[in-house]
Amino acid sequence: MTSDFVVDDIDRSIVDQLRINGRATNQQIADHLGLTATTVSSRIRRMEDANQLRVVAVSDFSAHGYNVLMEVAIEVDGRAASDVAADLAKFPEVFAAHVVTGRYDIDMLVVLRDFDELPGLLLDKFSQVAGIRSMMPAIAVDVIKYKFDVAPIEEQVPE
Amino acid sequence: MTAPQLDDLDRQLIDILSKDARVSNRKIAADLGVTEGTVRGRIKRLQQDGLIAFTAITGFSLSNHAKLAFIGVQAEVGRVRDVARQIAEMPLVTGVMITMGQFNILAICVFDELENLVEQASDPILSISGVHHVETSIAVKTLKYNPRVVRITEKDRVIDNGD
Repeated sequence: MTSDFVVDDIDRSIVDQLRINGRATNQQIADHLGLTATTVSSRIRRMEDANQLRVVAVSDFSAHGYNVLMEVAIEVDGRAASDVAADLAKFPEVFAAHVVTGRYDIDMLVVLRDFDELPGLLLDKFSQVAGIRSMMPAIAVDVIKYKFDVAPIEEQVPE
Repeated sequence: MTAPQLDDLDRQLIDILSKDARVSNRKIAADLGVTEGTVRGRIKRLQQDGLIAFTAITGFSLSNHAKLAFIGVQAEVGRVRDVARQIAEMPLVTGVMITMGQFNILAICVFDELENLVEQASDPILSISGVHHVETSIAVKTLKYNPRVVRITEKDRVIDNGD
């Protein structure tokens, strides 16, 4: 996760403006910060090219038809946790999968359209992955906070 | 929970904007063969309904907080909401959900040094009245993470007049 990419105060102030309004024009940002639109444009491009910035719309789970959010912790047995996690990550319902320290080996965030899908997912899909000793699901009944502006950024996919 | 009514145009808009939110309404309108007014109106409605939000997602060079931790919390049942709200106030905490399972609260944290995670999250959570037990696990490897699909909570519904 280390990187030689260096950011300065101008980069940070541009990012702050984009966090307030991701759809502000280069000119609006430039006027606000006392820069030129060209500078704003090239700074944004530089951060995007280095995979350090994406200005995007994030969408709610419900916009994709998902109404149930849950955490599933997995205890692994007889197989590398990374391999088990990689297999589990292939299921579209799994939108985050991490290998973790502690009592469980893998922590996943899982989304479902409906509770009816839960037995099928746990018993027919996840259970087909080799190396799972136990699964500990925790259903989110209320989300108090969900901040989404810091994340590992994937490589830009060419159009 | 009622499912929002989204049509194909809404989905196309979400798809375009989730790749790059800085595309102008004019270009989107031209690409989709609709008017700029339609694009503007749709985006505004999606924002008002809490279905999309615009943000700058930064990688770890810009955030200083490169590591991720999950903290499971067992709190007294009658005080879960209050405890969850107090946890949500902590600066390293990026996500808090009330859950049914082995723990009744899950807190997601980003941190730089292990010491700071303990001092600014694990220990303060354990000191909240009504908290019985916390279990911290640290992500050592990320296999999958989709930052584009999120839970938009009430205070994130900032409406801008984009374009």
